[in-house]
Amino acid sequence: MGSLNKIVKQQQQTLTKPEENISEEVAQLVGFVVGEEEFAVPILSIQEIIKPIEWTRVPFTPDYVLGVFNLRGNVLPLIDLRIKFGISANDIDENTRFIVMKIKNEDVAFIIDRLTSTLRIKKKNILPPPDTYSNEEDIIEGVGRMDDGRIITILKVDNLIKREEIAPNNDHTSTNL
Amino acid sequence: MDEIQELLEDFLVEAFEMIEEMDQDLIELENNPDDLDLLNKIFRVAHTIKGSGSFLNFDKLTRLTHHMEAVLDKARKGELTITPDIMDVILESIDAMKGILEYIRDNGEDSAPDIDIEPIVVKLDAIVNGGATQEQNENKKKEEKPRIVGNINLDEITLENADDIDLDSLSPEELDAVLEHLVELRNSAPKKVGNINLDEITLENADEIDFDSLTPEEADVVLEHLVELRNKGDKSSESSKESKDDKKEENKDNSNTEKKENLSDSNEKKEVAPKKQALTQEQKKKEVKKAISSLAEQTIRVDVKRLDQLMNLIGELVLAKNRLIKIYNDVEERYEGEKFLEELNQVVSSISIVTTDLQIAVMKTRMLPIGKVFNKFPRLVRDLSRELGKKVKLIIEGEDTELDKSIIEEIGDPLVHMIRNSVDHGIEPPEERKAKGKPEEGTVWLRAYNEGNMIVIEIKDDGRGMDPEVLKRKAVEKGVITESEAANMNDKEAFMLIFKPGFSTAAKVTSVSGRGVGMDVVKTNIEKLNGIIEVDSIPGQGTTFKLKIPLTLAIIQALLVVSQEDLFAVPLSNVIETVRIVEEDIYMIEGKSVLKLREEVLPLVNMADIFEIEKVLEPEKYLYVVILGLGATKIGLIVDRFIGQEEIVIKSLGEFLKGLPGIAGATIRGDGRVTLIVDVGTLMKLAKETHNRKIVTDSLNEAKKKKEKPSDYTVMLVDDSAMDRKIMRGALEELGVNLLEAKDGVEALQLLKSNDVDAMLIDIEMPRMDGYTLAQEIRKYNKYRKLPLIAVTSRATKSDRVRGVEVGMNEYITKPYTKEYLQNVVRRNLGL
Repeated sequence: MGSLNKIVKQQQQTLTKPEENISEEVAQLVGFVVGEEEFAVPILSIQEIIKPIEWTRVPFTPDYVLGVFNLRGNVLPLIDLRIKFGISANDIDENTRFIVMKIKNEDVAFIIDRLTSTLRIKKKNILPPPDTYSNEEDIIEGVGRMDDGRIITILKVDNLIKREEIAPNNDHTSTNL
Repeated sequence: MDEIQELLEDFLVEAFEMIEEMDQDLIELENNPDDLDLLNKIFRVAHTIKGSGSFLNFDKLTRLTHHMEAVLDKARKGELTITPDIMDVILESIDAMKGILEYIRDNGEDSAPDIDIEPIVVKLDAIVNGGATQEQNENKKKEEKPRIVGNINLDEITLENADDIDLDSLSPEELDAVLEHLVELRNSAPKKVGNINLDEITLENADEIDFDSLTPEEADVVLEHLVELRNKGDKSSESSKESKDDKKEENKDNSNTEKKENLSDSNEKKEVAPKKQALTQEQKKKEVKKAISSLAEQTIRVDVKRLDQLMNLIGELVLAKNRLIKIYNDVEERYEGEKFLEELNQVVSSISIVTTDLQIAVMKTRMLPIGKVFNKFPRLVRDLSRELGKKVKLIIEGEDTELDKSIIEEIGDPLVHMIRNSVDHGIEPPEERKAKGKPEEGTVWLRAYNEGNMIVIEIKDDGRGMDPEVLKRKAVEKGVITESEAANMNDKEAFMLIFKPGFSTAAKVTSVSGRGVGMDVVKTNIEKLNGIIEVDSIPGQGTTFKLKIPLTLAIIQALLVVSQEDLFAVPLSNVIETVRIVEEDIYMIEGKSVLKLREEVLPLVNMADIFEIEKVLEPEKYLYVVILGLGATKIGLIVDRFIGQEEIVIKSLGEFLKGLPGIAGATIRGDGRVTLIVDVGTLMKLAKETHNRKIVTDSLNEAKKKKEKPSDYTVMLVDDSAMDRKIMRGALEELGVNLLEAKDGVEALQLLKSNDVDAMLIDIEMPRMDGYTLAQEIRKYNKYRKLPLIAVTSRATKSDRVRGVEVGMNEYITKPYTKEYLQNVVRRNLGL
């Protein structure tokens, strides 16, 4: 058993090592369009990408929380990035997708208008967000300049949704009777 | 190391259980000091804890139990009568034992610096020495011959050096012997029990043992030993049954005398009068066999986590079952009369039954008798009544009633509060009771029984009861309620005041109650379990509390209701009833809407107002109301439709959405959609707020549209043929209604969502989405439930018409049609 574990460990090391080396210089991202703008998130933060399915509204949530839906027996929150970013929401069409990402160990789905492609971008080409960007919520990781000249906003996945914003701990304490 | 840890955990679980039981037995003993069976049982427990404690090297614990055992032993032999004072000392030592055990649980050793056992030991010794004889304490150690197997001297092997043995070098027999020896070593502690040398007892001479002369714990050990021997015997191939019998005959003479001596020897020491063996050898043999077989009955301890996991899996299964039933129902409509349906039906039913049985079976594994909680109350009542100088008898009934483990854990604290409350506030001091002509001794009943899907726990006392008027006055004084609120209160509502925070009726604050927090805590805890509290009281005669609690928390029965477009699941345990009312049944009291239901006046709230759901439905003649009850409150909730009762599995909404007011979680229904589960506790609070600011009758009419003339109405024409649309348009323009046109189902759906449509004419055969599918899609929305859909088609066979009805078409017009016919149909459907 011990030797088998060793082999597995070695395999894992050889598998992950070069990856680490690469990621020191190159970030792998998935690009998508929301409204008019192209965004990207790290490929490893994405659990899966699915076609839109029916969801259930949940009361007392901000308008960008559309509700919850059933993904193979799990109940996932659904966030509309268009509303979150202050862009008027388009209708759902054949390009619309749900991107399921892991945020603080919880699966959360985001509606996006269209997927573009996976991207490899050199880390040195990623610059911190310029001051002109409104980034109060700290949801922008940086701005990537692609080789073809495109500018892509890279999102900080962990900050895309915050518990305090969604369900502030306002105890609905009862007024007397 | 792990083994010891495991052993320790087992010991702790067992010890806590035994002590709890002992507590109860001791209280019972105080009432029946001569009950020898009970004394023996208590003695046995103390003895077992002492034995296991000493094996695990808990010296402090052993010392304490040893001295306690000495007292019990004397009582058992009739040399000592248990007086309340002696009982106090025994109970004190039990508390110390509990303390030490808790310390062991937390720290792994028994130094327990906070607990000083010496004064207790002195007291215990004083009790023992007060009697006639000194307790003898001999530890007779028998010399054993070295046992040698192969090259190994077993006596040289101890648990400590076991690791040094080179197992690879041993022959199989040697290995077996060594392992057996080690197991024996580990179990050796219990074997020292009593004065019997177990090694001398074999299956062959078992018949000669005089069980009557043994103390119960000795008998237990002997039986255990015999079971062990029998199991070994089964394994060994060499001893066939016949040879065993032969041996038995041979050995009888030798062993008989020897063993008899040994046993009678022990009898004298234990001072148990050797009884004459009225039973024949044959009967005794049977008895031993019976005892052995009952010992072989097994239970296992299972980690609760595993049961939880199992319960989760069952939950998934229940969801799948619901889905299967839904699919079957869909298919049934579609393929009525077909042969395979019958088979499908059988499979679905059997899966459904098995799933339900499975769920009940697993639920049962998580159930514990409520006696586990009840057990600590005799002690509580005894201590409390002594402290308060009252005489109180506690009568417990239904302790076998079973409840989910998680609920058992939650229910303890509220019950402690309530029992304390009954003894402290309810039962009067003896003089007062005497003056009132009641017996001096007050009685508190603690009763548990099942009622449907709920368990009811009843706490009743025959004390002074509560006066609703006094309660109201106090509440007004303390500012808990206003004068006018007090005036509108009936007696039951007044009793509920005791659950308000900051309310306490005790004139003087004692150490046990009167701080005004207790009953508030009870209410909070019971609400956490989705339970309901009921109070009834007659001044001078006593008070009854009823706690109604759902049996389990993970899978629940729910009532599915629709508010506007949204579906909600309401835990059935909180639904008191459902009623259909008309708007005229709604009254206004102090500017708030209420429902008069029989004797009661209930606050009435529209569910859509609570959850701020957009109102899209026109009000109908009848209103549907769910009467919700939680803890001490009741409320009427207006919904738009009842779907029915269903078994649902509670799932969390996840880290980001959990804790939303009014929402307990979600469940996945048969159609795969998510339905939110209402959290009755917070919903009640929200409802109260809503009730204060929203008048139900106003809210009901928000969605009412005013339509009088034809131009107020809009009709949509859905047909892929431009000519057909033109014909329809020609006919309907004459009616004066507004018209919309769509080329296919997809376009029609989009138009419908952005326009206010009052009726639709639908062609069946269209590209992209046909008429049947369109109708089906439209009927999925609650707000289009009543929208008239009229099929206009050349498909005229019977099956086409049936299909049309199935998907929700209201009318079926076959082409060609006359202009007047079309106009009539549309006019009728619009109600013009």
